[in-house]
Amino acid sequence: MSGRSVRLAAALAVAGLLASGVALGLAHAAAPDDRILPAEKHTSDKGRALARKYQRALAELNAEVYHCMPWLDVRHEGIGFYKPRHLQGDVRYLSLNVEVDQQPSAEFSALPVHDRASRMFSRYVPALLRRMTREAGLMGEPLLEGFTVILSWLKQEPRPNERPVLDTIAVFLPRPQVADFLAGRATAARLAETAHVIAWDGETKLGEFRVRGWEDNFVATYRIANYQPASEVTCR
Amino acid sequence: MRLDGVRLLLIGAVLAATAGCATSEEWTTWRSHTSHFASGPHMGFSVRNREGTAPRVSRQDITMARNENWWGKPITVSQEQILER
Repeated sequence: MSGRSVRLAAALAVAGLLASGVALGLAHAAAPDDRILPAEKHTSDKGRALARKYQRALAELNAEVYHCMPWLDVRHEGIGFYKPRHLQGDVRYLSLNVEVDQQPSAEFSALPVHDRASRMFSRYVPALLRRMTREAGLMGEPLLEGFTVILSWLKQEPRPNERPVLDTIAVFLPRPQVADFLAGRATAARLAETAHVIAWDGETKLGEFRVRGWEDNFVATYRIANYQPASEVTCR
Repeated sequence: MRLDGVRLLLIGAVLAATAGCATSEEWTTWRSHTSHFASGPHMGFSVRNREGTAPRVSRQDITMARNENWWGKPITVSQEQILER
């Protein structure tokens, strides 16, 4: 190998190392964009118009959950202006579908499903609604009827050779109820009373049921040990 | 002599990329302080963490830890049963 070839190889090796480092850094910083339903995949003009108008707000919501609540995993296309199936007409709710990554304690798994659901509602629904409504225009948006939060979590730790089963609740809240809660005119308990909640045990629909709600500061206080968000991210 | 210098540069670049791997103690610390996650080591974590410093956990570390430790495809309701596009 000539001296020139060796110098070229060395330069390429160093450039490659630097480039891989830059690429790694960018990959760390970006939230996966497949978590947002693209505007063109909404099936009505109303849905598409909302998705286009609030594209930036949805991206910011995706990024905030990804970086600042890293124990939540937004489902593929889990953010969008979806129509709840149980409602008639082209009713559009801003929806967020997340899986909570937690190892259930024996105590938690032993609770009745209503109690598990109430705990998860109180822990996450108020906190996520606040993040879903950071874009002030949404609360006055005439095309937007409400908000959906879907939460799934591991029901119990699976035994060997057993598939994990997730509990799921879908919480539907019309916009006026959310406005009252955000403005402090309604408590978390009142929010739970007015919510339309449907639950599933794995794939089995349990139907509609009521949950209880209360103030829970878990999201505001919980920190994963030694976790540091990407430097360009500010968590509120 | 020139070739030796280039070799030195290459060796230096490789050392720079692999230096500061997390110690087993750091991993133990991270594992023992999180109720949600555990993971085997991987390059992104190793490169950033050095002997004698608290380990830094990035979002990517958490994603990788989750993928490594998940039990498999869960039984759960699909989004399409709840919402329409």
